[in-house]
Amino acid sequence: MLAYLQNIAVLFCINAMLALTLNFIMGYAGIFSLAHAIFFGVGAYATAYIALYGTDSLLICMAASALISAFLSMALALPALRVRGEYFVAASMGLQVIGVTIFSEWKSVTGGLGGMIGIPRPRLFGYVFNDDGAFLLLALVMLLVVLVLTALLVRGSFGRSLMAIRDSESAAQSYGKHVNAVKTISVAVSAGLAGVAGSLYAFYMSFINVESFMLETSILLMAMVIIGGTGTLFGPVVGAALLMSLPAALTYLPFLPPSELGTIQQIIYGLAMVLLMMFRPGGLVGGRSREKSA
Amino acid sequence: MTRADTQHEILLQIRNLNKSFGGLKAIQDVTMDLPAGVITTLVGPNGAGKTTLFNLITGHLIPTSGTVHWLGKPLKSIEPWKIARMGIARTFQDLRLFSQMTVEENIMTVMERSSWLWQGGRKAAEKRVAEILEETQLADKRLERAVDLAYAERKFLSLARIMASQAKLWLLDEPASGLDPRSFERFVALLRDYAARGITICIIEHNLDIVIKLSDRVAFLDQGKLLAQGSSQDILKDPHLAAIYFGDRS
Amino acid sequence: MLFAQLLANGLQTGALYALIAAGFSLIFGMTRIFHAAHGATFTIAGFIFYEFYSVLQWGWPIAAIASAAAAGLFGVLLDRFVYAVIQRHEGSFFTVFVASFGAAIVVQNLISIFFGRGMVTVTTPLSKSIELMPGLFIAPISGIIILCAIISFAILQWLLTRTNLGIALRALGENPNLIEVYGLTPRRLSQYVFLIGSVLVVPAAILTSATSGLNPSMGNHIMLISIAATIVGGVGSLRGAAVAGMLLGLAENLCLAVIDPQWSEAVTFVILFLFILFRPGGVYGRAIVS
Repeated sequence: MLAYLQNIAVLFCINAMLALTLNFIMGYAGIFSLAHAIFFGVGAYATAYIALYGTDSLLICMAASALISAFLSMALALPALRVRGEYFVAASMGLQVIGVTIFSEWKSVTGGLGGMIGIPRPRLFGYVFNDDGAFLLLALVMLLVVLVLTALLVRGSFGRSLMAIRDSESAAQSYGKHVNAVKTISVAVSAGLAGVAGSLYAFYMSFINVESFMLETSILLMAMVIIGGTGTLFGPVVGAALLMSLPAALTYLPFLPPSELGTIQQIIYGLAMVLLMMFRPGGLVGGRSREKSA
Repeated sequence: MTRADTQHEILLQIRNLNKSFGGLKAIQDVTMDLPAGVITTLVGPNGAGKTTLFNLITGHLIPTSGTVHWLGKPLKSIEPWKIARMGIARTFQDLRLFSQMTVEENIMTVMERSSWLWQGGRKAAEKRVAEILEETQLADKRLERAVDLAYAERKFLSLARIMASQAKLWLLDEPASGLDPRSFERFVALLRDYAARGITICIIEHNLDIVIKLSDRVAFLDQGKLLAQGSSQDILKDPHLAAIYFGDRS
Repeated sequence: MLFAQLLANGLQTGALYALIAAGFSLIFGMTRIFHAAHGATFTIAGFIFYEFYSVLQWGWPIAAIASAAAAGLFGVLLDRFVYAVIQRHEGSFFTVFVASFGAAIVVQNLISIFFGRGMVTVTTPLSKSIELMPGLFIAPISGIIILCAIISFAILQWLLTRTNLGIALRALGENPNLIEVYGLTPRRLSQYVFLIGSVLVVPAAILTSATSGLNPSMGNHIMLISIAATIVGGVGSLRGAAVAGMLLGLAENLCLAVIDPQWSEAVTFVILFLFILFRPGGVYGRAIVS
């Protein structure tokens, strides 16, 4: 039982980190990305490759994952952010599709469709995180780091710049905000931290393949952010918890055919997205926050 | 009412400015100066090119020919955000407030020009924010979101932002339209106060009553040409200009 | 003859993509709504046709009408009951897009519950290929596809330029105030836009069901093509979207001469990226830089 709970907890931490980082650009900057799973994947594959063929050092692998993901995101952001937001959605969709193809085909680096196996647990100052309990602690610490970092950025002047750009890009520009730089940095931070989550994931699962990084995952992450509440600090965490508990909750309903659980899950959060946008666009935590109060 | 123009420094100089969109000449050979400490109003019929002129100064449009000099520097092909950081700020006719952010955040974010995480001078910044809130009488609304404010409050928030920008040139697009008389008096007083501190203020305005109450100087634009500039009395009493303004182009 | 075969396939795919993209571009260009459920409309149209033709065996005219009715109804209902509500209170790009996306997810999964997750095809004698020349296989249905596309576009052209409704629709995109002249409201017009845009995919859906087949998650690919074609063609240009759709269909097939099939979807996006980088206005649009 303990092992089961520990497992869920680690996965929750990773998903919460991903949701928080996606919310950073979607909720605070108003930038839409359907490619978040790719940055997650890039981080995972980077760590897997380094850990298998280089070193199992936690710091080196995580740093590499963060930097590679961040760098890749800037390649997407720099051209796509120059133009209107709708173009970024399209470009991110494109990146998601191409990313999956690359993950599946680049056998020498990603192991192709078979993925990568035997990824060792990370080592920090000589200690190896073989114990699942210890790994959970690591995951919790990383989640905390992401939360604190996000809070610092969002509540400070950078966050205000982001929100100003979200609310009126032309006014923000007229008041001296370097819009492209701010947006690009926020995308890089978001992707870099998603890469860190990927790193954790690779270390934990010891096996990764392209199936975890497909469009479905990007959609699930988007649902977590939206349902939990965009533009709020804890909304994504709530969203992650809720959507992760959905599959377990559904198994308790006897009248649902078990083979269709995945489908029904998707229907539920699809429906939730539609209804929330109609009546409560701020999500569960945010409420009606996007519109005029009263 | 007017102060002698020669007493004021000319910080913004426009020389032979032209802007064409294909065959349409939006601005034709405009030459004018905006003196510091003076409130200049741009008037003219709709489509005269007033907003276009603003856009040419702020860098949102690039001139076809001619120059704009600010503080002696030519503003040529500089991006709008850089021009903003040189001390030129503008408001918009549709305000474009940061609607989801609070009044305080709207002001603070304009003050924080660069977006670095840690900034010095925190105490001084907070003091200035409080000052601005006092001057615009928005102190008790400081934690309200911009989208929830009343009409007059929104106009004052728009002004508060430009006050926070530490800009030396204010380009205001119909900033006072629709204000009730008392709010309007407050608004004028505030503008005069900042003009007295040496700010160069240029306003686009349609309402002639407002123009009379607000301006030291008036510049009359029609079909992209600067027809006349001078004291508000001189310009507004000119029957020829009045005819053009009211649509008779004989 | 490989090239000729790929070209023929490309023309067929291109014609289908042109229709699909035109529908999306019409809706987006005129209502500014990012109708992410357009792919779902396509899927519904295809599966309804399959149900009425292959399963219930009621003949293709009835199946086609049912398909068109279902697609049109879906588009209009979504607009009336979801988008309208959202636009009334806030209507930002984000909110509408997410709702649209959510609807697409629901549809995709509902269809997979009723029809299973696998591929289904409609078998007709028209899909049997004939060897026109050594190495060149073309089915009669390809000719029908291209004919259908031409006819649909001709009708659309007539509708938009010669009828009051069409002219009002074009005004909706550029100057909503003019619409009142025609005694219509933006809301009502928006529903017409969704009706027309949704029905436009029906021929493409029916023909796809008879050629490459249908599966519930095909909506994603349809959306990708719609968006890519709209951007490459130029936002707001119907002709651009159609031309871009044709181009993308051709590119997707012709590139098979040099690369593996897994990469053919990626080709679409490389083209998209190149346009975003160098010509964001698309082929027919104006450069839109914020």
